[in-house]
Amino acid sequence: MSFKQWFIERFPIDYQKFVEINEKIFIKEPIPTHMKKWLFAMGATPLILFGLQVVTGLFLTFYFIPSPEMAFESVRHITEDVRLGFWIRGIHRWGANLMIISLLLHITRVFFTNAYRKPREINWILGVALFFLTLTISFTGYSLTYNQLSYWATTVGTNMIKEVPVIGGLMLHFLRGGDVVNANTLTRFYSMHVMILPALLMFFIFLHIIILRLHGVSIPEGFEKKYYPFYPHHFYKIIIATLFLLAFMSTLTIILPPGLGTPANPAITPQHIKPEWYFFPMYRFLKLFPLHVGIYATAAFVLVFTFWPFIEPLLSKEKRTRTLFSRTAGILTLIITLALTLWETIVI
Amino acid sequence: MPEKKQKINRREFIFRTGIFGALGLAILTFVRNIVLYLFPERKTKTYHKYLVAREDELAVGRAKQIYMGRTPVFIVRQDEGFKVFSGICTHLGCIVKWEQDKERFFCPCHKGVFDKSGKVVSGPPPRPLDEFRVEIENKKVYVFVEDKTRSPWA
Repeated sequence: MSFKQWFIERFPIDYQKFVEINEKIFIKEPIPTHMKKWLFAMGATPLILFGLQVVTGLFLTFYFIPSPEMAFESVRHITEDVRLGFWIRGIHRWGANLMIISLLLHITRVFFTNAYRKPREINWILGVALFFLTLTISFTGYSLTYNQLSYWATTVGTNMIKEVPVIGGLMLHFLRGGDVVNANTLTRFYSMHVMILPALLMFFIFLHIIILRLHGVSIPEGFEKKYYPFYPHHFYKIIIATLFLLAFMSTLTIILPPGLGTPANPAITPQHIKPEWYFFPMYRFLKLFPLHVGIYATAAFVLVFTFWPFIEPLLSKEKRTRTLFSRTAGILTLIITLALTLWETIVI
Repeated sequence: MPEKKQKINRREFIFRTGIFGALGLAILTFVRNIVLYLFPERKTKTYHKYLVAREDELAVGRAKQIYMGRTPVFIVRQDEGFKVFSGICTHLGCIVKWEQDKERFFCPCHKGVFDKSGKVVSGPPPRPLDEFRVEIENKKVYVFVEDKTRSPWA
């Protein structure tokens, strides 16, 4: 008796049906021909990186200790003492950065090819939610290293929540578990970073992919409506992307290893504090305006950005005019974001 | 799955071998690295050498008590040389006394008795007194004390 028979007797699924389903949803998933171009096949990159983040993050928890006394020291221990600890941490750190870069590229591509249009509005909103969840998980992860910069970034970052009308103060107190960033903040952030946010991300990614699969990949204008099966061509593409990312991140880790900084000192705020690069646009923007104006303007931008697929049709009935509006808005957003980022990078 | 006989050309074969070879290699390297990462390196213990007595200071059969930090330590000269014991009783951690007339260690807490070579003679102690490694150099007696690192990952 073969192992297959032995197993199916004990796990009695309809094997033929299983094969059919597998062929339908995986092997023979129709992929539009334009996805043979790498430019259009990069939506899987954030997913691959997320997978690697889960694996490396899981291994980091084997050594990391979320307490004010031990957080910095355990990160140092991982980086300097544990065999290949610098590599695991380096991949986790670079993976986070690359995940945000790849999401920005993915969003830009989807926006400029108008892939968010009816009937795919909900998937755009899910994607935006995934992007902001990724920013949140990056922020909480960054604060766990508990060095001077991350400590004060956490202090400044959480302080902004106070501006939320009515319940801001309560939310801040809940998030910090006290009046200032302390041991409770660290354990709360740890719990969010390793359990709550990853679970949410997984759920949203699942929905995102389900909706994508139900609609099929949208075909940008000017491409033929022709398809090829997922396996083997696209499958190979994903393997190649994974291998490239692993090699690329290992190289980055060796050339530009993540540093340690100095241990957090709640008594002294460093002269120059800066958040991570992906918060530069918002940080620079907030420096230009009074706090509440800056925060409301950012919130308004986020809302418009999130619901753009529903806002766009209100602007004009003409498809061409809509595209013109969207392109202009998109290019303006890109220019302003890049300009603010550059400004913050250059000026201390 | 219905198996189909497919002929693949050389180009396809090389491509597949390459891609699965690279994938396999990457997986193997990854697994190896994770195994190394998860099992902490066994560190060899390091020791410091401390001077505890001069050789001519003690006659055969005599002992002397000193303190290393807060740990009482006994240096005993025996026929075959010097032995250095920790004075902490192996039963429940009281401090033993050297009784010169009986050439033995006595623990007052539960009447544990050790002979001059540290072996249990009577009473409840489960094992002999802890011993330090001794080295004699230029008529001076040294012991080796294990370094305790300050890091919690000793």
